[in-house]
Amino acid sequence: MADEPVREWNDEQLKSDDLPKKDLIKFIQDNAAHSFLNEHRLLGNIKNVAKTAKKEQLIVAYNELFASNRFKGTEPVEEVTKQVKAVKIDEKPKEVKVEVVDEGPPKFTKATLKKGDKTNFPKKGNTVSCWYTGTLEDGTVFDTNIPSAARKKKQTKPLSFKVGMGRVIRGWDEGLLTMSKGETARLEIEPEWAYGKKGLPESKIPPNAKLIFEVELVAVD
Amino acid sequence: MALDQFCDVVQRCQALQADSYTTEDHDVFMIAGRSCIEEGHSAQMLSIVLDDTNQELVRCMGWNLLPPLVQVLLKKDDKNLPHCLAIFNHLLETCRPKELLIGLLEQLEQEEPVAIAESLHLLLKPLQRVLLRLGSRKASSLGMALSSALEQVAKLPVPHTKEQEEDDIFLLGRCCSDLTAFVKPFVQEAERELCKGDSKASASSKKSAKLDGVSLDQEELRTELLKFCMSTLCRPLLEVQLNDPDALALSPLRDLATDILNNLNAIGESTTSLVYQPLSKRKEAAGFLEEEVRYPKESLASLAHLVFVHHLAADTFPCVFNPVFCLRCNMDHVSLLLSRSADLKIQKGLELYEKCLVRVEDNSLPSELLQMKTFLTVPQNLTKVMTICPRHDLRRKGLKVFQLSIDKFNLEAKYNFFKFMLKTSHHSGVEGYIIKNIRSQIDLALRPGNANIWFEGFRLPPLLQLVFTLADGPETDLLQYLDRIMEALNLLRYLIIRDKVTENKTGIWTALYKIEDVFLKPLRVGINMSRAHYERELSTTTTENKNNVKETSVISVSVGDEKLPSMTSESQIQALHSALHTFDMMESVLVRIEELTEVKSSI
Repeated sequence: MADEPVREWNDEQLKSDDLPKKDLIKFIQDNAAHSFLNEHRLLGNIKNVAKTAKKEQLIVAYNELFASNRFKGTEPVEEVTKQVKAVKIDEKPKEVKVEVVDEGPPKFTKATLKKGDKTNFPKKGNTVSCWYTGTLEDGTVFDTNIPSAARKKKQTKPLSFKVGMGRVIRGWDEGLLTMSKGETARLEIEPEWAYGKKGLPESKIPPNAKLIFEVELVAVD
Repeated sequence: MALDQFCDVVQRCQALQADSYTTEDHDVFMIAGRSCIEEGHSAQMLSIVLDDTNQELVRCMGWNLLPPLVQVLLKKDDKNLPHCLAIFNHLLETCRPKELLIGLLEQLEQEEPVAIAESLHLLLKPLQRVLLRLGSRKASSLGMALSSALEQVAKLPVPHTKEQEEDDIFLLGRCCSDLTAFVKPFVQEAERELCKGDSKASASSKKSAKLDGVSLDQEELRTELLKFCMSTLCRPLLEVQLNDPDALALSPLRDLATDILNNLNAIGESTTSLVYQPLSKRKEAAGFLEEEVRYPKESLASLAHLVFVHHLAADTFPCVFNPVFCLRCNMDHVSLLLSRSADLKIQKGLELYEKCLVRVEDNSLPSELLQMKTFLTVPQNLTKVMTICPRHDLRRKGLKVFQLSIDKFNLEAKYNFFKFMLKTSHHSGVEGYIIKNIRSQIDLALRPGNANIWFEGFRLPPLLQLVFTLADGPETDLLQYLDRIMEALNLLRYLIIRDKVTENKTGIWTALYKIEDVFLKPLRVGINMSRAHYERELSTTTTENKNNVKETSVISVSVGDEKLPSMTSESQIQALHSALHTFDMMESVLVRIEELTEVKSSI
């Protein structure tokens, strides 16, 4: 059994601006057990995780790791697999309503997290702009365009495209047409209306993957 | 001597104002000064140049000393180097930036690859310093510097193999790293200003921000950087085979490519909209360059290849786009690349096409897509690649991608596509290949549970009409159209065997009499005529051979100034035998068809 990892940084160093988030994430990803990473939402491409996780969160996770000794190899595989299967994404704030869109067999569901203005609904052909984060069922963040607070200098614009024209995956086309300006919703899209049997291997989307997007509709033109 | 002259002119000018310097003063300063450096008096020059009382003079004329200084600096082991370097650095800080710029750019121009690489390596950093001194008015000077640098880089030989890239004997890799470092602060400035502009714009109306003079400078800066990125995408990036990280861990060329993509995002030209540009109407670029000049098509194609085949800067590319949309947009880029004659560009076109096709489900592309021009030009360009590209591996890959594209169309699209290709490809081999595909589709349609309205029933005969034709009736050159004719015969034989007379699912039994008229009968006549002709040729040639009569040919063929030897009699005889064999083969299938027809019709 490998030696237990050693603390690389003390509290002062952790809080210091000299320590970039990416280094901290890498350390934790390298040393923590899979289920630990999952619970703390630290799975996936380091850049994406850096966008969605705050420094404070990471410091908490780092300390947790040493407190609980949940390092790599401390949990038998079956246990980990069972835990991964049992993990739910449960940290979302008050869900207002769950809409099952009925078009034959439903291929996506929408849960509104923040209400929109309920007046400006996009029509097919309108240009919409949105911020989004995309995750797989196991919590891995595979894509996002939200600039994290620290990187405000990097100019990032919301994603703009013409909706309802087949330019994006069907789950998005259908889902966004039901949203109003200002609304934030969670779209859970079945693979048939996402990337189907092929997936997108270079973007970490496996075949037959159900995709979960948190989308904020910022503008409708 | 020279040193004395130099000291004289310096002393004389100490007392004068800058606008009183005469032309002679300028000339003496330049000529004497240059000689001094060449003769090695760099220590004395340094003290003169640093002297406070001479700063006005140095600021005015110092830049003329650049040529010999640079020569010394390039020699690296010259004992005068430390002094010359000090003089050089002082000049960079003191003289007028625009003049320094001209002086430095002149020194960039070299002919030999090693000289090019060395002078770029030496001069890019000083150029950067000088440009940064220009403040907000730097855009056009930056543009000049960038285009000069790229011009020089374009003269360097590109690596053709992974090993060549690793060895980097012509230092293209190092130049790429130098370029990346050179352009960095300017991109960062543009990015900062863009963010500021954005936050200002969201606070007040966008229109007022645009009229600001400062914003105009920034707009120019972004335009110059865009020009640079677009140029680099073409040369060297489109002309080089990039290696992926698992093949070559360290690659300055790949780093340059990634950097360019990030730069584009930083200056507000998101790679997403650049890649998908053909299908979206881009807003009018405010003023400086027209759309097509601003976004050259080859550069965009190169960009698409980097994003989709090499997955560079993948984390900035959204994973929400529909694979069919992705294919539609890339067709423009594929069409362009496949129409070029350079092997590497064709290869990249094939790779890009293949990558987009693989992401799409089989049998899913709708027929409406064929109304887009590129969905027709691409197969036509692909046909040229498959048939006349000199490289065997590209021809083979072309065929593989061609079949892949057919597989992705849905049934209606396949049907229309086959019709289109039969009408327009004018190449026997390609038509034969299409006919083979038609046979597969009919075979599939006839299997239980697969019935469809396109490859059986009333729609099939119009398609078959295009298959069972002879271009020139009985006079058709059977050897030229061999591939097509054989596939057509094979298809006919298949249909007669597979489709029962009583069922007639494919309509073949109703169409047979017409096919007999239009195709089979003229074919029979043609075969007989051709056979007779070739048999006569054969006997003539054999007789000549026996009698050793050499017939002087009226035609000769030359390739690259070398005249090819005329065929020997033996080869001629062999060719004639082979032709006759072909006619036998055709006839045997014809006969078989007749037999089967009789048997089946009589049942």
